[in-house]
Amino acid sequence: MQASSISAIEARQTGNRIVIAGIAAIVLILLVAAILLFINLPDANAFNARVEQLFVENDDLTTRAEIKLLEILAQSGTAFSATLDSYRFVIFVLLVFSTSLLIAAVAFLVMLIAMNRRMGQIERKGIEVNSLMIAREQNTVLLNNIEFKLTESAIETLSVLAEARMDDEVLSGAEIEGVISGRDSSDCDEAAGATRIKRLRDTLGNQMVSELLIKNIARRGYVLAIDKDVIRMV
Amino acid sequence: MKIIIASLLALGFAASSAEAACYADYKAKQDDPLRLQYGVVQINGECSIETATAELTPKLAADGWQLLNVLGVFDDAGLAERRESAGEFYLRY
Repeated sequence: MQASSISAIEARQTGNRIVIAGIAAIVLILLVAAILLFINLPDANAFNARVEQLFVENDDLTTRAEIKLLEILAQSGTAFSATLDSYRFVIFVLLVFSTSLLIAAVAFLVMLIAMNRRMGQIERKGIEVNSLMIAREQNTVLLNNIEFKLTESAIETLSVLAEARMDDEVLSGAEIEGVISGRDSSDCDEAAGATRIKRLRDTLGNQMVSELLIKNIARRGYVLAIDKDVIRMV
Repeated sequence: MKIIIASLLALGFAASSAEAACYADYKAKQDDPLRLQYGVVQINGECSIETATAELTPKLAADGWQLLNVLGVFDDAGLAERRESAGEFYLRY
């Protein structure tokens, strides 16, 4: 469990580096795209310049009606350039939106990769305990929400071990016996604690194997509770 | 008598040559919003496009117009046909 959590942290660190690099790349690409876009958008005066050029190049465009028409053309072009400005804003908003979406996509992708790695490790490791719940009244313990029924003394031993683990303590056999019997550990026998541990291992281990590996199907028989593809005979 | 006639003729020629006024038609613009102008102007100096350009540019600039080009120069004969087109800018400057 210790080893896998360390490698999970390592995976997260490399993942973070990839995320930062990816996000930087996305921001850079979209920034370049935005700059190119804004540079290439036609200038508001392009239409006026064009009309002016027409006016200069055609010597016979001199009657008042024609000149008025050219002016109207230029004005409609100016109105269009105002529309272009609003397009510019819309394009900018869309660019910002796509940037955030892409950043989110990259972050989720890396998270997914890290998650897959972790899942693979868990699968290889077999059983990893994510939750341990001890219900003393019912003499049951819930490991990863799988219920195991234990004897009263086994529950007692497990509880003592769980409390010691929470305080980051290691108990000797004599100390376990001392806590459970209520006597001083110096008066207790090391072998008595070892026996309690053995009984706990036997009952819990037996039930775990029957739950996770060798299943008993009622009135039919026994079957290995694993995928048949993973079995190999050497 | 001959001298008088000669001098009269000379005067008449001088007068007629002075009366052969010079005009130019031009195109000009204003920016923001774009406005265009076609006009006719009288040239006081030498009758050429260069003179017309030189005379016209400051006059137009005073009213906020920018000279685009001078189409050509002509005398009284060409005035009538351009009057309609030039409209309010006929001989304004």
